Amino acid sequence: MKYLLIIQGENSPELLERLLRVCRHRGFSVQKISGETTENEKSLHITLTVCSDRPVSLLSKQIDKLFGITQVVAISQEQAIRASA
Amino acid sequence: MNGANFIVQALKQQNITQVFGYPGGAIMPLYDALYDGGLDHLLCRHEQGAAMAAIGYARATGRVGVCIATSGPGATNLITGLADALLDSIPIVAITGQVASNLMGTDAFQEIDVLGLSLACTKHSFLVQSVEQLGPIIEKAFQIATSGRPGPVLIDIPKDIQLADIAESPLFEQLTIEQKLTFPLELSLIRQAKEMIKIASKPLLYVGGGVGMANATQALRNFIQYTYIPSVCTLKGIGAIEHNSEYFMGMVGMHGSKAANLAIQECDLLIAVGARFDDRVTGKLEEFANHAKVLHLDIDAAEIDKLRIADLAITDDLNEVLPALEVETYISAWQKNILTMKQDFAISYNHPGKMIYAPALLHLLSEMKPADTVICSDVGQHQMWVAQHMFVDRPENHISSSGLGTMGFGIPAAVGAQMARPNDTVIVVSGDGSFMMNVQELGTIKRKKLPIKIVLIDNQRLGMVRQWQKLFFDGRYSETILTDNPDFVTLASAFDIPGETIVIKSQIQGALTRLLDSDGAYLLHVSISEEENVWPLVPPGAANDKMMESLQ
Repeated sequence: MKYLLIIQGENSPELLERLLRVCRHRGFSVQKISGETTENEKSLHITLTVCSDRPVSLLSKQIDKLFGITQVVAISQEQAIRASA
Repeated sequence: MNGANFIVQALKQQNITQVFGYPGGAIMPLYDALYDGGLDHLLCRHEQGAAMAAIGYARATGRVGVCIATSGPGATNLITGLADALLDSIPIVAITGQVASNLMGTDAFQEIDVLGLSLACTKHSFLVQSVEQLGPIIEKAFQIATSGRPGPVLIDIPKDIQLADIAESPLFEQLTIEQKLTFPLELSLIRQAKEMIKIASKPLLYVGGGVGMANATQALRNFIQYTYIPSVCTLKGIGAIEHNSEYFMGMVGMHGSKAANLAIQECDLLIAVGARFDDRVTGKLEEFANHAKVLHLDIDAAEIDKLRIADLAITDDLNEVLPALEVETYISAWQKNILTMKQDFAISYNHPGKMIYAPALLHLLSEMKPADTVICSDVGQHQMWVAQHMFVDRPENHISSSGLGTMGFGIPAAVGAQMARPNDTVIVVSGDGSFMMNVQELGTIKRKKLPIKIVLIDNQRLGMVRQWQKLFFDGRYSETILTDNPDFVTLASAFDIPGETIVIKSQIQGALTRLLDSDGAYLLHVSISEEENVWPLVPPGAANDKMMESLQ
């Protein structure tokens, strides 16, 4: 299954690394990534497309626990298609 | 003051009185500040020992353990300790020196990317980039280590920042504001949970380490006293329930008691309290408690539905949840069934021959030990025998590397526990494999003259691996035979630790008395047969009711 993750965090030099490590370790492969810093580099906005046989809640809850992450929203691909249709 | 002095003041501000560590180049400014800074520092003889002493200190008290190491090899040596603390949710703060900021990224002497290394083995980690950040980062580190589900936090501090000037105590106004967010319990969840408990005819409590970590031992005991629901515990849950509680069946899982494993498979409501459905508990997950609905109580939302889908979950503080769930139960048939199982499957300490039977020795030691003794265990067969045959009535009194299963944990953990609780007896139970993995910490025991009682169960094997080789690898004993072990009593004597070796049953009583009566540290070296196995055993991939109970 493919999922879209929309993630907001307080920017720090290692936040992206931290995030990608959790994705890999919890069994999700990253298929697409885009991100940018905002507000004088104070916050980081990232969208990830990930793929896994596991339910996305396993990943989103782990990301949510990371210190510095302020928001994470997970959308399954089907939901995303329905929303854009 | 400089950054290093500031760190010492900030630690004191966090009510830290004791730290464990090992000096080196990049942490020298901090060690200079520690020299007369008013914190007690105990030199361990390896950074891994310092990390595990901090863990032992934290686990014996419920407070934060602090360890300190230098950059590069000092920091890499801490890693196993951090991983151990992560998997057992232990609040420790590790401080590492880093090479000076202008040298970072140049492969300088003793430089390693500690922040990068720490990502997989800490709850969080910080690299301090300016001296002004020191205060807020230390404050946050302690908050993260202790809040929610506790865990290890690392602070990496470049040498130039330790040396930089900083205005005196600028941070203390914002410090120590308890940021405890308490939300009211969701009443509809509580109502549903109570209903589940009320209609269950075979409810069972599955109690994990989270109860002790949440300081909810009393709340759990009150809940049990109100509901009389039968219970089992995990390795880390040992001590949460009094060992002689009427319907308590001991540890569940791979080496759990027969009654506990059968009860799990039979129950119709499993109430998981601060537990996380670890594979060593569940056996074959699909068949674990497969007749039961699951009510999962845990502070960590990421544990809910991770391995077993919960019918209902509550992630609030157990001290609020458990009292709210007290409800009358009508489960006398189930209670009778539990008592029958407890009786039918009671442990027998009958053992033929003269050779020492370790479970019986440990059981006797448990009966002889003074009240409020702390038992630290290493990892392997002896660890399971401790869990099965020794008893404690406080989670802080059973310190065992549960999640990571770190050999070499016992001695340094005991060092930390004894420093934390100088008036209580501390016993380490180790094996001949584990003992050698942090044997240098005997030097720490000598340095501080710690009266730690060491029981070394020696089968001249890596016993747990040997047992699996016997059972599952056709008896091909690959690298598990340790007949070339050193003379352990002589080894201990080099650290001024007296000791003795016993080999037959008739020597046990006297030796245990001498061990417990010794003023200082003591090594009791116990020779046992290499053929002894840990029973029962749920084979890998099997359901918990498919226990092996002997070689046949």
